[in-house]
Amino acid sequence: MNKKYAIFITALFCLFTFGFGAALILSPSRDFSDQENRYLAQFRAPTPATLRSGEFMEKFEDYVSDQFPLRDQWIQLKALSERALGKQENNKVYFGTDGQTLFAHFTAPTQEELKQKAGFVNKLGENLDVPVYFSLVPDKSFVLSELLPANAPNVDDGSTIDRVRELCGDLPPDKSRPWSELPPEDAVFQVNFIDLRGALAGTEDSFYRTDHHWTTMGAQRACQALLEGMGLVSQAAGADGLSYQALPYTQVSGSFYGTTYSAAGAGWVDPDSIHAVIPEGGTKGRVTVTGYPEGQPIESSLYHPEKLAVKDKYAYFLGGNQPLCVIENPDAANGKLLVVRDSYSDSLAPFLAEEFREVHLFDLRYNNLSLKQYAADHEIDQVLVLYSAANFTTDQNLFKLGL
Amino acid sequence: MIFSSPLFLFLYFPIVLTLYYVSPLRWRNLVLLIVNLAFYGWGEPVYVLIMFLSIAIDYSHGRIVTRCKAKGNDRGARMAVASSVVFNLLLLGFFKYYNFIASSLAAVGAGFLPVIDSLPLPGGESIPFTLPIGISFYTFQTMSYTIDVYRGDARCQKNIVTFGTFVTLFPQLIAGPIIKYKDLDGQLERREYTFEKFASGVQRFTIGACKKVLLANALGPLWDVYLATPSARLTTLGAWLGIAAFSLQLYFDFSGYSDMAIGLGRMLGFEFLENFNYPYLAKSAGEFWRRWHISLGSWFREYLYFPLGGSRVSRGRMVFNLFVVWAATGIWHGASWNFLIWGLYWFVWITLEKLWLGRVLDKAPAWACHIYGVVIAVVGWAIFAVEDFSAMGPYLAAMFGFGAGALDGDFLYYLRSYLPILAIAAAAATPLGKNLWHALPERTRQAAFPVLMLAGLALTTAYLVDGTYNPFLYFRF
Repeated sequence: MNKKYAIFITALFCLFTFGFGAALILSPSRDFSDQENRYLAQFRAPTPATLRSGEFMEKFEDYVSDQFPLRDQWIQLKALSERALGKQENNKVYFGTDGQTLFAHFTAPTQEELKQKAGFVNKLGENLDVPVYFSLVPDKSFVLSELLPANAPNVDDGSTIDRVRELCGDLPPDKSRPWSELPPEDAVFQVNFIDLRGALAGTEDSFYRTDHHWTTMGAQRACQALLEGMGLVSQAAGADGLSYQALPYTQVSGSFYGTTYSAAGAGWVDPDSIHAVIPEGGTKGRVTVTGYPEGQPIESSLYHPEKLAVKDKYAYFLGGNQPLCVIENPDAANGKLLVVRDSYSDSLAPFLAEEFREVHLFDLRYNNLSLKQYAADHEIDQVLVLYSAANFTTDQNLFKLGL
Repeated sequence: MIFSSPLFLFLYFPIVLTLYYVSPLRWRNLVLLIVNLAFYGWGEPVYVLIMFLSIAIDYSHGRIVTRCKAKGNDRGARMAVASSVVFNLLLLGFFKYYNFIASSLAAVGAGFLPVIDSLPLPGGESIPFTLPIGISFYTFQTMSYTIDVYRGDARCQKNIVTFGTFVTLFPQLIAGPIIKYKDLDGQLERREYTFEKFASGVQRFTIGACKKVLLANALGPLWDVYLATPSARLTTLGAWLGIAAFSLQLYFDFSGYSDMAIGLGRMLGFEFLENFNYPYLAKSAGEFWRRWHISLGSWFREYLYFPLGGSRVSRGRMVFNLFVVWAATGIWHGASWNFLIWGLYWFVWITLEKLWLGRVLDKAPAWACHIYGVVIAVVGWAIFAVEDFSAMGPYLAAMFGFGAGALDGDFLYYLRSYLPILAIAAAAATPLGKNLWHALPERTRQAAFPVLMLAGLALTTAYLVDGTYNPFLYFRF
């Protein structure tokens, strides 16, 4: 190595390290990462206390990597490199074999967890005098399993749903299991399970490719199955000639990159489209929505177009998570429905609003009211507990069902 | 702080280089001492006190040994050496082994030592009782210093700043190589600074960073999967795939770190000894340890095995000496029973080789010896890596055919996903890449190197920046 070449190598290395270091310090900090959909760590000046406890150092390392120049591009470079190396996943997201569909990787629930959680739903059934329906949304990986990489280890939502049906008395239990996994001998089942697998199986557009949620099409299919399960007549069947089934899908956004995309950093995937069928205010224009985003009632709407401008575009439906949301439609044929919800219910809500005079979306995570009391106070006719299988097996608030 | 972090690479190290090279030569050791302490204190500020203590004790013991020797007081010099060794071993023993000993005693019903969770500080505060990083390395380094001064192998260091720089030298502070004072002595006083040396340091550092971040970190998740697999579901091929991933991960992690240390040392004007020499090419257990973590093996040889008499003693005594050395080597790797068993596992193989197996291997074809060398190393890693005692037996059993069948769907998925990186890593564990590189004409190498270096640094940066991304934040709602 001659001296000139050594100087060149030295300069190159210093340029790289000093350059990015200086850029980190000099460039303004970002508050929020659109790509990752989260708030980024900021610089916090040290104090004697945070220096001694080491808190400053920990936060500072977060700051350095969160505010690193070109962070989004580095993350995408890593995902590309993982894919080039033949990896079929990145950050717990599987790359679908079509190159466009992304699957979040969930860990399997234990039998004990399932039994405990199904027990909470059964308790709700016992507590209430009105019918309680229970349904689980299978994950995209169940519906589109042929797009998962071969042999990819993943939760089988089909077997989770079968197990939950056994635990709710909807299927005869498999007696070969150890007693600890079987429903209690004296269990009285007051819950009606509605299986959505049939309605979603074989469809290609029921889920977003880049997000874990179902699409408007998936929600519409589920709505029909839910009504059938409840033994109710659907407006969509066209009983009064005003079927929304005939309405066209309107694309409201063509640039939706969902949560699974963000986790995977999969820059090669095309954006999803978001659609709407039911117009704002319902097909007859008389649907009103009362939201409780901060706990106080405010006038809201089925759709929130302003959310299409931000990263988390799924919040277009009902505006995002809230403790309670009440939708009223004086023209609907059926009575009052209380939905114990997760975010999947938001895009389902416009369809439910066509079918029920009142739909109460109740979120256990942010709402500590007694469900029994709430159902009595509002003269609820039927209750639907609706969760995605993954949320159901991980949510820590389901015990409130039994209170 | 670790080298493979954006903080180190883009802030700490540029600042160190700047401070270091703008300072006049005679201040550079002081600058180094200060940045070393900042480096060490970053993770646990209070533990910098251990550094001060270590410097003060070993510095003064070195002086005492020298003075005693000058007066012809050999007994005094020996006492001073013994006192320094005892101090270092107590320091290591307390921080690394105290809770292990206390809980092991409690497990056999002799729980008279309380398990410590936190250390009280003056002023009523307390800090969690954790292992100070690098303590296994720097206590061994400072111990060798007083011994070498006594033996006349090293000169006594009279300047406490220079001595402190040696004890705390950040490139090798937390993961070695274990540098003996006598190997560094002259360099502490006078170092040569050339662009050629700096550039070769850059080269070495980049290689080390790529080994650590692109190979070791990429293989880690595969091992994590198999470590977490319940033993009832562990298949034979799966268990081998998992431990193969760990074997390569550990090698690239550790040797990558040593490469980075050597590279950083050169950029600061130091020349450290090599720590690895393609260990998976070994044809015997003995050879493996002459190629793996060389500085540790040579430390134990020089300061434990030879003083015990080494191999120039009766056969029974030699076996005893080997037993002591390998038990110590095992437990040095961590305060847990599995490390002790792992050390004794090596004791068995090395003793067998010294007694008769070595003569068999000498006559065996080279390929058979290579297979033997790799297989015993890899099986050893299973003992090393599965710290949970109840899982170690079933893991080894699965490797030898007593598992849940030969293979399953998970194995096929992981094999497909990791085959390219495993193949790259396996090739990189041999001198193949190095030989191909040197077969290229020099002009080609000179043109290719900057491109490869920038690509390596960029990929490393990409993996480091994404590494801290926490996808769980996503499921907040």
